[in-house]
Amino acid sequence: MSFIQETDYGTPAVLADKTVTLTIDGVQVSVPEGTSVMRAAKELGTTIPKLCATDSVAAFGSCRLCLVEIEGRAGTPASCTTPVAEGMVVATQTPKLAKLRKGVMELYISDHPLDCLTCAANGDCELQDMAGAVGLREVRYGYEGANHLTAEKDASNPYFTYDASKCIVCSRCVRACEEVQGTFALTISGRGFESRVSPGQSEAFMTSECVSCGACVQACPTATLTETRVIEIGQPEHSAITTCAYCGVGCTFKAEMRGEELVRMVPWKDGKANRGHSCVKGRFAWGYATHRERVTEPMIRSSIDEPWKVVSWDEAIAHTASEFRRIQARYGRDSIGGITSSRCTNEETYLVQKLVRAAFGNHNVDTCARVCHSPTGYGLKTTFGTSAGTQDFDSVAHTDVMVVIGANPTDAHPVFASRMKKRLREGARLIVIDPRRIDLVRSTHVEADHHLALRPGTNVAVLTAMAHVIVTEGLVDETYVRERCDLQAYAHWAEFVALPQHSPEATEAVTGVPAAELRAAARLYATGGNGAIYYGLGVTEHSQGSTTVMAIANLAMATGNIGRPGVGVNPLRGQNNVQGACDMGSFPHEFSGYRHVSEDETRHLFEQAWGVALGAEPGLRIPNMLDEAVAGAFKGIYIQGEDILQSDPNTKHVAAGLAAMECVVVQDLFLNETANYAHVFLPGSTFLEKVGTFTNAERRIQRVRRVMRPRNGYADWEITQRLSNALGYPMDYAHPSQIMDEIARLTPTFAGVSFDKLDALGSIQWPCNDAAPEGTPVMHIDHFVRGKGQFILTEYVPTEEKVGPRYPLLLTTGRILSQYNVGAQTRRTENSRWHEEDVLEIHPHDAEERGVRDGEWVRLKSRSGETALRAKTTDRVAPGVVYTTFHHPLTQANVITTDYSDWATNCPEYKVTAVQVSRGNGPVEWQVEYSAQARKSRRIEAAE
Amino acid sequence: MSAVHATSVVPMANQIATFFVSQGDHAAAVAGTADHIKAFWAPVMRRELLALVDAGMADGLSDVAREAILRLR
Amino acid sequence: MSLRVFVPGDMAAVAVGADRVATALATAARAAGIDLEVVRNGSRGLFTLETLVEVDTPQGRIGYGPVDAADVPGLVAAGLFEGGPHPLRLGDVAALPFFARQTRLTFARAGLTDPLSLPDYRTHGGLKGLEAALALTPAEVVARVKASGLRGRGGAGFPTGIKWETVLAAAGPHKYIVCNADEGDSGTFADRLLMEADPFLLVEGMAIAAHAVGADQGYVYIRSEYPFAIAQMQAAIDLARADGWLGRGFDMEVRVGAGAYVCGEETALLESLEGRRGQVRAKPPLPAHRGLFGRPTVINNVLSLAAVPFILAEGADAYQDYGFGRSRGTMPIQLAGDVVNGGVFEAPFGLTLGELVDDIAGGCASGRPVRAVQVGGPLGAYFPRRLFDTPFDYEAFTARGGLIGHGGVVVFNDTVDLAQQARFAMEFCAAESCGKCTPCRIGSTRGVEVIDRIVAGEARAANIAVLEDLCDTMKLGSLCALGGFTPYPVMSALDHFLEDFGGADVRRAAE
Repeated sequence: MSFIQETDYGTPAVLADKTVTLTIDGVQVSVPEGTSVMRAAKELGTTIPKLCATDSVAAFGSCRLCLVEIEGRAGTPASCTTPVAEGMVVATQTPKLAKLRKGVMELYISDHPLDCLTCAANGDCELQDMAGAVGLREVRYGYEGANHLTAEKDASNPYFTYDASKCIVCSRCVRACEEVQGTFALTISGRGFESRVSPGQSEAFMTSECVSCGACVQACPTATLTETRVIEIGQPEHSAITTCAYCGVGCTFKAEMRGEELVRMVPWKDGKANRGHSCVKGRFAWGYATHRERVTEPMIRSSIDEPWKVVSWDEAIAHTASEFRRIQARYGRDSIGGITSSRCTNEETYLVQKLVRAAFGNHNVDTCARVCHSPTGYGLKTTFGTSAGTQDFDSVAHTDVMVVIGANPTDAHPVFASRMKKRLREGARLIVIDPRRIDLVRSTHVEADHHLALRPGTNVAVLTAMAHVIVTEGLVDETYVRERCDLQAYAHWAEFVALPQHSPEATEAVTGVPAAELRAAARLYATGGNGAIYYGLGVTEHSQGSTTVMAIANLAMATGNIGRPGVGVNPLRGQNNVQGACDMGSFPHEFSGYRHVSEDETRHLFEQAWGVALGAEPGLRIPNMLDEAVAGAFKGIYIQGEDILQSDPNTKHVAAGLAAMECVVVQDLFLNETANYAHVFLPGSTFLEKVGTFTNAERRIQRVRRVMRPRNGYADWEITQRLSNALGYPMDYAHPSQIMDEIARLTPTFAGVSFDKLDALGSIQWPCNDAAPEGTPVMHIDHFVRGKGQFILTEYVPTEEKVGPRYPLLLTTGRILSQYNVGAQTRRTENSRWHEEDVLEIHPHDAEERGVRDGEWVRLKSRSGETALRAKTTDRVAPGVVYTTFHHPLTQANVITTDYSDWATNCPEYKVTAVQVSRGNGPVEWQVEYSAQARKSRRIEAAE
Repeated sequence: MSAVHATSVVPMANQIATFFVSQGDHAAAVAGTADHIKAFWAPVMRRELLALVDAGMADGLSDVAREAILRLR
Repeated sequence: MSLRVFVPGDMAAVAVGADRVATALATAARAAGIDLEVVRNGSRGLFTLETLVEVDTPQGRIGYGPVDAADVPGLVAAGLFEGGPHPLRLGDVAALPFFARQTRLTFARAGLTDPLSLPDYRTHGGLKGLEAALALTPAEVVARVKASGLRGRGGAGFPTGIKWETVLAAAGPHKYIVCNADEGDSGTFADRLLMEADPFLLVEGMAIAAHAVGADQGYVYIRSEYPFAIAQMQAAIDLARADGWLGRGFDMEVRVGAGAYVCGEETALLESLEGRRGQVRAKPPLPAHRGLFGRPTVINNVLSLAAVPFILAEGADAYQDYGFGRSRGTMPIQLAGDVVNGGVFEAPFGLTLGELVDDIAGGCASGRPVRAVQVGGPLGAYFPRRLFDTPFDYEAFTARGGLIGHGGVVVFNDTVDLAQQARFAMEFCAAESCGKCTPCRIGSTRGVEVIDRIVAGEARAANIAVLEDLCDTMKLGSLCALGGFTPYPVMSALDHFLEDFGGADVRRAAE
């Protein structure tokens, strides 16, 4: 095991058609036109001393160490800001330059603490390196002059410390905050010698606009901005490249280790999803892996009223197997099922669905995509032929008009949001369709051209009205439609959307979107160049989620915005491996690669490979399982890495379903809320403890590498394998790569995928097979996967969930940057310092009417249930709309949400719940009872 | 045949039917609804809906949904 | 027909009481029943004459000065309104040697006209340049400016025509004309005077530039310390727009700086105009390619733009005929410090420093001998008397380790301590450094400390060597002229006035 060093080329790579040849220190080199002299030299292996340059941000030219001499040019230009020219002759080392560089370094060191031996960056400090590189031997100015040695440290941020005494004012942090992250939280305050990095207007990092993405820490060449962990424990000694286990962006990180101790996670520059960037979660919030509440020993109990009893793995597995077999014997083969985890690896997910289909002998397997992007799968498969987004993330750099619908990327997909913002700063236009004024609508150097603040639940009406404008105003890309789409379906659709009842004017009363604004937005999308649609759960989690996805696909096809970089339909997937979980056959109706269980050829393939007979009809989906449990027909469930009690809608119904089962098996890191109803707890392992792959929102399969042994003893796939064997269905994989080999053998879109190839290429976007041996960044280039693109009529059907006198407000839910999903991990990190509790956003007007003041407790009630939380008055939400997050079990926002769901996929309608808000005075009775029950349920019997 | 199912499979079938009714004529709507239910519902759910229909307990079921589920018998 | 008297309204004249003089004249005229029109012209540029009152008489304009408000009753009694005799009577001001010796191409109207009177402007030859330009293609205008030999008057001396040519060749759609009126050099005031005395000239120059390169928007960036110039330019722009020669295809506005010297550096000025911290940008990209808001931008000094209307009106040759070597045309030289005749003196390049200091400026006002002259602002070199034969010309000054900069000449008498002046140069750099590049940010502070050590006699020879190395690092390593030129005053003080750095032992150590 060794420490992986990245090469810093000093300035960003340049793409150019033309190549320029120059001579550096007597050696010829050819580089793309526009490349800096510094980068050209590095391509040759020649390192020019530098401090302010780093290849993640544009050249700045401030440190003056990288000066070179160029024949025929006066002076000593900076190599970072000087572009190469044909025939240029550069000298990087001359006596004049040596003297100059030494002179500059002498100045730097004259205002720097001489505490290298006790400095946190000792061994990882570019200033130290440069002092060595230029041969600095003395500082003739002495150390008695003006200096910053007594500058105060800012340790307000839990993850990193700002030590101004070590700042060399290279502005790398400021530039990273601007260019990479796009938050503009940092600046240089003061002038001249007084210049110093400052968050906002001389605020502390914690209270400033800083989002703790870590880009500044990453960019800092000295110990000025250093991870608190490094300060506490020292420099890492080896490292491994792995993939973040939070959201669907799938950032690549370098896990930097000391033995089995994780020192820090550093975003990896060659990660094709994140390109060297990170967010506060992936970069810093991994402390849950060693949190004291993590359970590492298996436990069982015969009733959920009893305390847990710690048992051996053998006993836990044998008990589970015998319970499942007992239940099947008594209630039938279909009386048990399983839920795969979008947080686990492809291999683990594949194994769970295989366990259900082959060992349980039914298709009762589902995954949490049911409650997030199942409509994406249905909608895009119907229209395009593939249940996945069409682009890679790099595509956004070619986008001219972005449409963001029902997504809040700056909070939920922050690293990709930074790439969006970068493109927006370059001049791309932006349309936001969201009931709430998300940050993208207006933030530093980003402003939406149009914000269509629709009433929750009216997506289809808005998108169909946009289609109306595009069709009736003659903005359809007819050539594209003629060549690429089913013409009959198109004609039918065009006639449908052109009907007067679909006009923006006719739908305005329902949607609340001013007709003129909607028309302008539609025109912009249709005519503004490359148009790309990015959407999230604000699209899918509706009774018309699938219809909305198809309405989006219609718009993209009609305007010719599919099949090349810069365009496309791009679902922003929520969990790290939700795409992969779907790909792996986690849905009850299909095998891996989205092949229906009724397809005989496919089913026979699996029957042969697995040596079992397989049914031709779909199994139960999560809500159906719960319904059947309440009805008494479904009795046992194996849940890997999902907390359905907190995450699924209508908590009381979920609780009733779980309570009605005889054997609930939860495999997780912590005793989550679902475990309160479990009979077996199998401790899970973290992404740091296992080997495998995750697939992100751009269909990119990436390696997960183990950096420490599982604290619980086994990786999750090993536990599933043991359970399968105990159930009498043998599995004997020695390594996850063998599981991937089986997936590749059985799945045409994965045919070319293997761990070896992943290691060689870094990552692969499926489909990867003989037709596309290195994967497919952009789909549907020459033709749609299904052949001709299919237009679908999208009639707006209002949700059954309607406001009325009892429940006059609409509740919609979402996420916040620092917390992740149900918070199981992030709540067990310092991230909670940014978001300690869920709050209810309410418009001041609605608050005033109810006598509610900012920060006060309110009761939130729907026909499903009631909870209480604190109010935050804000005009981010429109009057009539309230908003909250679902990160905290104490709030249990899903007590409020209903069991309405998408017509095609049963994806719950989280985004629209009719509610009433009234003044409160603390948690409601239900919350108090629930807390007490949870406490009781988590008791563990003392060891004898 | 619990109340749970009457409140879940009937509206689910109706929702599906509503979508396919918007797509074309009656025959296509019935076919679309039936295909969708066959593709995505576990057999036990179909059986439950049929049982409700048979027992005269599916009053709220739309005509298209009723035709579709009967076709799947 | 009323009687016209001229009382300058520019900042310098007002500072010595011009407003009070104007009021006193109006009061006196009312008392005498005279219908008096007081025109607030700009100063003619010789500040020792302020407040200079001129009276329009049948025999021509008769000047009186310097006039104090208290002098007015006596002057009126002596027949001021008829041009009557008085000890302060100067006669025809233009005939005074200080003015007679000048070649006023840029300052031709300054002091003569009502600065905000468009009819006045037209009568005195205004707008001829713009009219001539509009009759030409943009490329022809650029060719003329190139042929005139005009070089940037801000200090760098880069050929204006070539700059324009680059912007003309750059792709649109938007291009900008930015006028650098952040006149921050010590001892300079020509920009201010031009804007206050003849603001339409600058508007005309910018309009010509806009036509030449295809720009649609212009900005005049004026330092906040120039409230009169700001008001005057604003008024002139409004009048020009109302008159229709501005605002059709090209419009402009005034932007006010916030007190940073470094914002006179063109890229820092652009940053400031964009609303950012006034920090220098690395070049390339050149502002001509990617300037204001990333668009092709002409950024010129006030005097460069103000020289253009003459070139267009009278032809490139008429301008190019004046001058010396590669420095063509005239330069408005500003004489300041301990001088008898302080003010703006516009003359073709080529006068020697000696002529300027001894002859035109008239030596020290204090009567003491001249010891040193700093030419080109706070970053200019100190010249001793033995270099007074240096002709006023870009190349000649460079050859002698100096620069002419923006044309400021500050004269010091024999009481000056050049070690303290060298220290001041470093101190100035430390105070004004934007902080971006290391040599300037840290070097200037270290420079002050090292000079203090030298003066205090600490390891003098060694510290002089450190200072010389530091100056080398700053000169070759700095990002912009602030850090890059600070060594000029320091090294010239050291070279020519070593004795001020510690007496005989220094000389010995240096030998």
